[in-house]
Amino acid sequence: MMNSMSNVEFLKELMNRNFKVIETDVIDKYQVSFVLKQADILQALVTLRNAGWIQMSYLSAIDWPDESKIEMIYIFMNWERPVHVQIRSKIDRKDPVMPSIINIYPGAKYYERECHEFFGVKFPGNPDYEKQLILEMWDDIPPLRKDFDPQAYSDRKFTKREYKEDYLVLSDQNSKKEKREVRKERAESLKGGQKV
Amino acid sequence: MKQMKLFLGPQHPGMHGNASVHLYVDGDIIKKSFLLPGMLHRGFEKGMERHSWINNISLIPRVCVVEPDINEMAFVMGVEKLLGLEVPERAHWIRMIILELARLSIHLMAYGGLGGPTGNYTLMYHAHADRNSILDIFEQITGHRVYHQYIVAGGVRKDLPKGIEKDIHAFLDSLEARYEEYRDLGIENPSIVARITDTIMLPEAVVWELGVTGIGMRSAVGKAYDIRKVMPYARYDQVEFEVPTSTYSDARSRIDIKLKELVQSIGIIRQCLAKMPEGPVRVPMGRGQSMRWTVPKGYVYSPVESSRGEFGYYIVSNGGTNPWRVGVRGASYPQGLLGVEKYLPGTRLDDAALWIDTMGVCSPEIDR
Amino acid sequence: MKSTKFTEPRKLSKEEVDRKWWEIGDFFRRNSLWMLMYCTGCCAIELPPAMTAAYDMERLGMGPMATPRQADILLISGYLSVKSLRRVIYTYEQMSEPKYVVGLGSCPINGGIYHDSHAVINQLDQYIPVDTYVAGCMPNTESVMNGFVDLMEQIRNKTAKGWIKYQENNEWYKKNQKAALGEVIIHDEFHE
Repeated sequence: MMNSMSNVEFLKELMNRNFKVIETDVIDKYQVSFVLKQADILQALVTLRNAGWIQMSYLSAIDWPDESKIEMIYIFMNWERPVHVQIRSKIDRKDPVMPSIINIYPGAKYYERECHEFFGVKFPGNPDYEKQLILEMWDDIPPLRKDFDPQAYSDRKFTKREYKEDYLVLSDQNSKKEKREVRKERAESLKGGQKV
Repeated sequence: MKQMKLFLGPQHPGMHGNASVHLYVDGDIIKKSFLLPGMLHRGFEKGMERHSWINNISLIPRVCVVEPDINEMAFVMGVEKLLGLEVPERAHWIRMIILELARLSIHLMAYGGLGGPTGNYTLMYHAHADRNSILDIFEQITGHRVYHQYIVAGGVRKDLPKGIEKDIHAFLDSLEARYEEYRDLGIENPSIVARITDTIMLPEAVVWELGVTGIGMRSAVGKAYDIRKVMPYARYDQVEFEVPTSTYSDARSRIDIKLKELVQSIGIIRQCLAKMPEGPVRVPMGRGQSMRWTVPKGYVYSPVESSRGEFGYYIVSNGGTNPWRVGVRGASYPQGLLGVEKYLPGTRLDDAALWIDTMGVCSPEIDR
Repeated sequence: MKSTKFTEPRKLSKEEVDRKWWEIGDFFRRNSLWMLMYCTGCCAIELPPAMTAAYDMERLGMGPMATPRQADILLISGYLSVKSLRRVIYTYEQMSEPKYVVGLGSCPINGGIYHDSHAVINQLDQYIPVDTYVAGCMPNTESVMNGFVDLMEQIRNKTAKGWIKYQENNEWYKKNQKAALGEVIIHDEFHE
């Protein structure tokens, strides 16, 4: 890899030349992340794929309820110029729609299906993204959103074992305070390093 | 002839893990198939958001039961990148020993798992007997046979006990002495060779289409695309080892690469034990009480080379005491889901379980 | 000494004859239990050392079995997700009686480390009857073998009556299953 510039520099120059990058973050010399607008994503992926980043590593989403946005992330890898690229972009949370990328990276088909199941993001272009993959007969909001409480769901549906709580009741045992005071007096009255 | 619906169900002697494959079968040939994951789903990604950073070490190894140390390593490497923490030198070498021992144990188990679909149970008995010795070594080092919870952010929890080098060397010597016997039982065995030669092919175009990593990629592409060589972590650039590759990828060459990697791992452990310096093994992750340690904001992806491919954790931190989002990239997600849908049809029904074994599909990391 | 030439031997009633045959059956049953090969969760990783040469379950008479119709023990190794529980109930009802259930790990007892998960059940006793539990996360292989020896003791003392409880309290079990799972036998299994 005897290039005049390093791999990270090559990527930064490639992205900045073609797109308006909102934010760049270099994590170390093997990883860099770019934040783009939603409309630029498909073109950016085609550019990356033609530049050599042909392996798709990960596709998922992050939920930011305070900003009312869902952030999509895509991670790619190029084994000839080893850098992991993260592409992130924020989309609307009330009705999240993101065009599917299976024409560029066919391996994304099942990642998008799982993302729909856990976050509720729609992917037009993916033929069966609405079928359930990991959950079965699910009857609540998408589980990985921040307003879903798994403990409440589990307590409501699956009964817990009941334990008797009599070990917590201490009021009907004798107090050990007197014995503690007798021991303390005895220890303080001993002189000359003599232990009993 | 009419097609018949069949389950290669969750309860099956040759199946790996708890997943079922739904098949449409015409005579003996499979026409359509898809995997049904989700029976091992525990909601890890949601559970990790509810535990603090140090508390997560109890949940993290349980993601993949056969090789729990890669989970700890990937999570911890991500947290250390966000914190900018430097780990003491001796901890790097101890981590390498633990990771390579885990790789030995899972290669032995996968090679013995070849005995399930083919009916060669002697191989399984031998492999599990040797694997039990590795679990005993782990019990001496970390205190638990299977879920170690040993690698934490800042190093490892405790130093190696005295006298453990003798045990490890004795075990490695015995494994090397039996290597020829393992080859005779499995890969040179005439009754198995006929079933694995020139079947279950993985061409190079399929590798880039699905996104397969690990042994599948190296056996089809022919180059040393291994994270330990290309993006080295934890002092892998200071030990010498080779990465076996091949250009013709049928089931036999993938199993052959697995056995060669076993020999390379034995070499790495021996070099680590010889080159390890003395010193402290742990640096605390922060100050104050451990339940209130925080990590600065950031988005990081940390990949580790597991025995099945690129295994990564995607960690997002909001500056708080709990992670904001943790995503797990299972190494066999591509070939388990899209591979079964597109490339399993066409094989015979009795080769279906063998397909899933030699492609390296492990269901806990698909379901999480 | 009393001779039997002039006194008739006592005739045994039908229940007593049945009980004697049942005791002989229990002797053979507890010394050769066959276990269904179904690894449902993570504690199943301690089963290969128990089955193979390291700890050798076969000296107790136990061995693996491929089909549920011919197996004695259903081993729930670890947690059970909701999807898995539907298939386990289907398998349990396919086994022929008498049958025993052993729960490995802390997860069938009270949910274990996944007690607050949206996909894992908390108490296995509500859905199928359990005879023996082996606690731990995860239990050692020797503890697993100890659990099997306990099950054999229970069969000898005639306290392993889970399958009779399932028959007698069937409505209660079915009500619990329906409340937690919705639909137990899935009609659209192929999800099309």
